[in-house]
Amino acid sequence: MIRLLIPLVAVVLFYVEPVFGLFSPIEIGGELRFLIPRFLIMFLIFVGVYYSRQRALVYAIIFGLLYDLFHIDIIGLYAFLYPAVCLLAIWAVKHIHKHIIVVTLITLLLVAVLETALYGFFTLIGFIGMPFGEFVPTRLLPTMIANSVFLVLLGWVFKSLANRRSIQKREGML
Amino acid sequence: MPQFFSNKRLILLLVGVIVLVALIFFSLRDRDQANLPEQIVKDVVGFGQQLFSKPAHYITDLIDDVDSLLNTYEENQRLRARLVEYAAVQAELSDVRNENQRLKDIVGKEDDLRDYEPIHASVLARNPDQWEEKVVIDRGETHGIQKNMAVMTADGLIGKVVLTTPFTSTVQLLATQDPDYRVSALVTGETEAFGLIEGYDTERRELILKRIDSAFEIKEGQKVISSGLGGIFPKGLLIGEITEVTTDDFGLTKQAHIKPAADFAMLEHVIVAKRTSTAVDGSDAGNTGEAMDKTAEDGKDGDGS
Repeated sequence: MIRLLIPLVAVVLFYVEPVFGLFSPIEIGGELRFLIPRFLIMFLIFVGVYYSRQRALVYAIIFGLLYDLFHIDIIGLYAFLYPAVCLLAIWAVKHIHKHIIVVTLITLLLVAVLETALYGFFTLIGFIGMPFGEFVPTRLLPTMIANSVFLVLLGWVFKSLANRRSIQKREGML
Repeated sequence: MPQFFSNKRLILLLVGVIVLVALIFFSLRDRDQANLPEQIVKDVVGFGQQLFSKPAHYITDLIDDVDSLLNTYEENQRLRARLVEYAAVQAELSDVRNENQRLKDIVGKEDDLRDYEPIHASVLARNPDQWEEKVVIDRGETHGIQKNMAVMTADGLIGKVVLTTPFTSTVQLLATQDPDYRVSALVTGETEAFGLIEGYDTERRELILKRIDSAFEIKEGQKVISSGLGGIFPKGLLIGEITEVTTDDFGLTKQAHIKPAADFAMLEHVIVAKRTSTAVDGSDAGNTGEAMDKTAEDGKDGDGS
């Protein structure tokens, strides 16, 4: 049962992201703020940290590719960024600490890194001409706040799910 | 410190990065059509997305309903005030419509750029990273949607179809930074002025209408509609209202800021306008490129003979 639960949660998060995307941008203080849902990558980081690196990478590549094909039409962008972010997170956690608060903070930091990397990429190919000073208050900060709320609410669920799966797997091996 | 990557891993990673970069460049080229695997993925993911989007739409519709219920009294008052006016306008409209039909019969004009067949669609997903302003809708080639068709809401034009698959299509909104994205527009008024919608002012959240002949007089408050001269869009779809008129960077033509009539923020139900009169490929459908190749070839032949 738990075996199927991790891919299932990933699929649900993949589909829920654009639904939340429909509600953004929100107008706060006379400016449009973009809240960009990054639920899937946060979940994958938790899977990578608490369960299996290999699994997390495989999911990251598959869902990154789906994301590219369905939403972005630039194949290879998310398919590269998702696994890269996952790898970075696992590497960072290995060298710091596995406590949930540390993992949460690292995850949020990496969401910011992902967002900035995307900003850099789209600026590079000339899709957007937004100065960095505008990017931070209208996109980066609202996105961080929204995603941190999500992660604080559901981070421990992700953790226990990944933990239970890895315990189950270890028992199965014995 | 343990080694982060073994040699084998490093090579794998490098090969992976090269493949992905190649894929990015492949997909960044101008493509007319999604290829088969892409179409399959889009349709399958789109189907799954429906299962999530439909309930979400249902809930937002419900909230909207409650919201409008609360405003009923006020709205009723306002509408009643306009009802008197409405009857007069209605009578005039039917009279004008009849006259128009009669005149058309006299001239023997059958096709009209204004005629279109509406295809109703629901928005499945909005690109969640919101860099490119794209939405995916639940109608595709099997429902008669083709590339470059106009997409609108009840309020006005919102964008055009950029990619189709059998069961979904991708719509790029007017609020895009893409410099290749143009819509032929018409300023209505005593004298009509033509221009092209090019670009979007993110700060003011307004569209920019460029290349208006400086001989034309345009003023703030005039309405802008689609001209139908681009070849794909029907004529007469409301785009917005002029808020400011300036001259362009070179001082040769005028440009205007247009406040869009439709709201791009919360899109749920859209209408795709399928033009009934013959559609020609827009210049952005790659025809110009082909034509240029052709002339180049012709030129070569000419030189040879």
